Amino acid sequence: MIKIIIDDKTVEAKEGTTVLSAAKLAGIQIPHLCYHAAFIPEGSCRMCLVEIEGFPKLELACSTQVKEDLRVWTQSKKVTEARKGVLEFILAEHPLDCPICDKAGECKLQDYYEEYGLFESQFKELKEKREKKVSIGERLILDRERCILCTRCVRFLREVTKTQELGVFNRGVRSEISTYDGELVDNNYSGNLTEVCPVGAITDTDFRFQIRSWFLQKGDSICPLCSRGCNISIEYHPGFARIPRKKRVYRITSRENLAVNDFWICDLGRYAYSYLDENRLSNFLSSLNGKNKRFDQESALQFAAQKIKKLYDKKKISRMTLILNSWLTNEELFLVRKIFRDDLRMQRIFMVDPSQGEKDKMLLTSERSPNRKGAEEIGFDFQSLDFKGLAGKTDVLVMFGEYLLDLASLEEIKAVLEGIETSILFSSKESALVSLFGLVFPTALAAEKSGSFTNCEGKIQSFEPVLESWGESRPEWQFLLELSRELDINSNYYNQIESTTAVLEKMREEISFFQKEK
Amino acid sequence: MIRALGYFIEIIRGSLITARHFMANMFFHILKVLGIKTKRKGAVTIQYPEEKKELASRHRSLHRIMTREDGQPRCVVCMLCVTVCPSECIYVEAAEDPDPEIQKRPSQFVIDLNRCCFCGFCVEACPEDAIRMDTGKVEIAQYDRQDLIYDLDKLKE
Repeated sequence: MIKIIIDDKTVEAKEGTTVLSAAKLAGIQIPHLCYHAAFIPEGSCRMCLVEIEGFPKLELACSTQVKEDLRVWTQSKKVTEARKGVLEFILAEHPLDCPICDKAGECKLQDYYEEYGLFESQFKELKEKREKKVSIGERLILDRERCILCTRCVRFLREVTKTQELGVFNRGVRSEISTYDGELVDNNYSGNLTEVCPVGAITDTDFRFQIRSWFLQKGDSICPLCSRGCNISIEYHPGFARIPRKKRVYRITSRENLAVNDFWICDLGRYAYSYLDENRLSNFLSSLNGKNKRFDQESALQFAAQKIKKLYDKKKISRMTLILNSWLTNEELFLVRKIFRDDLRMQRIFMVDPSQGEKDKMLLTSERSPNRKGAEEIGFDFQSLDFKGLAGKTDVLVMFGEYLLDLASLEEIKAVLEGIETSILFSSKESALVSLFGLVFPTALAAEKSGSFTNCEGKIQSFEPVLESWGESRPEWQFLLELSRELDINSNYYNQIESTTAVLEKMREEISFFQKEK
Repeated sequence: MIRALGYFIEIIRGSLITARHFMANMFFHILKVLGIKTKRKGAVTIQYPEEKKELASRHRSLHRIMTREDGQPRCVVCMLCVTVCPSECIYVEAAEDPDPEIQKRPSQFVIDLNRCCFCGFCVEACPEDAIRMDTGKVEIAQYDRQDLIYDLDKLKE
């Protein structure tokens, strides 16, 4: 450990760290535009200039390594003057089109001008005109006027994705970011460029002009679209006073977690957020005996419990089939295991997951569900389900999720379901399956419930609900707990459980895999 | 008893003052009607629907959306008016403008006058001078609440 003094504060830092990151650890903010913790520092923006004792000129905090007894000043007059000068030169070319810039509100240049600038520009010359709308990727738009040539995008594509689609062309005042020969940026991580860009030079068409960033609220969640379990922030609109909002979720951004996804998320996780708002099931549905009886939560649970209990009492539980999927959280899968396998002694439990997709070299895995590893650890095996064979063997079918559609065609499912007395579906989506099942429970998605996922590396990540639940939908774990109360088997055990944290506690007691990760 | 009498006297005095003002106003008003000019003006009442008081130059009346020379609204949907509006009565939605110099234009601009408190913050916040409250229209009452929700076309007039 090396001791350095920043603004009269003694800071300890590891050898090899830079002054900027040492200051950051000590809670001292040094402004920077081109520096990004994930890349090798370049030092082109000159915003991080600090005064260091013994050096004749101001030094770059982002690329100066710490040395024993280094004395650094980040707020001296010389430094603040230098920052003002740097900002003035950057703003000499940067247009003031904040009113139409999608970055406004979260733009670092805007923030730094507020904090360190606040000068009247001395430039009498007009700002340079450049291209305002250059397409550099399927979803990416480059505004060359706004670009401050920090080269973060170039370094991201060079160091992280290693695809190198962008470069700095020409020299001096004519320097500009461009693609090679018009080859567009085409990789599964291109959406990160909008986050990497400190100003509004690279924006995406998906978020373009949708809303201003300050209207959005952020909530931390885990991406459920593959088994990597990337940490994400869901940015949603809380709603206007009188006018209905267009959609709830406006975008998904990455959240730093060096153990899982560093600073990045893939484009699938970033742009597929519309599943949170589209085709959602909001009511209990039923088409029992051809009649459309309206169920509420209580009567639906009573109905389901009664059917299951009847089989159990007649010792015919082997005629019940349960189909799960690994979009369920650890807690929910554990409750299923306790209720159906340990208490009811059911054998016919199957897993039906969405069909596998393509994986890439970085984060995206081929499994399109977040909790396959967790399901394995809790004790479910992924034996293949002979769905057509269910017809004669099953009286009660309880299914979670709508991924059966990947396994069998709609006609096949319909034919099988006609031979089953009671079919119950827990689904968040208004899929084609909904009309085939006798009783359908609307369920919440990962963004709307609390729980935890075990990612492909065996890391358990907990999350809390970000969005309010959709219509009458509720998380599966609540339904399962209520169902256990209706079934009234081993009720002493379930009466102790009120929340997902209580379920997690039980899991830690009973399954050794969950014990080690505390 | 004496107290009650005191009240009674005050009521008579008040009535006399009212009567005096009425008589004086009536007298000068008759003179005005007859066409005789006097130093003092008669009745101060403005005969409202027929006669209208001139509004102060800074009076905040019904909003209007300013247009460019080509008739397009000046608004660039920065949504600062939406942000600053204390009664949350403005709703704006953006669309892409084919001109790369403008880029952003409103596809919807709705002001819910049921909620509007005429504070004029939207006018002050606007960086493009696209919204003004200088139409001088103050008679905006309607029979139906729906008619008080003004859209872009209505605001451009």
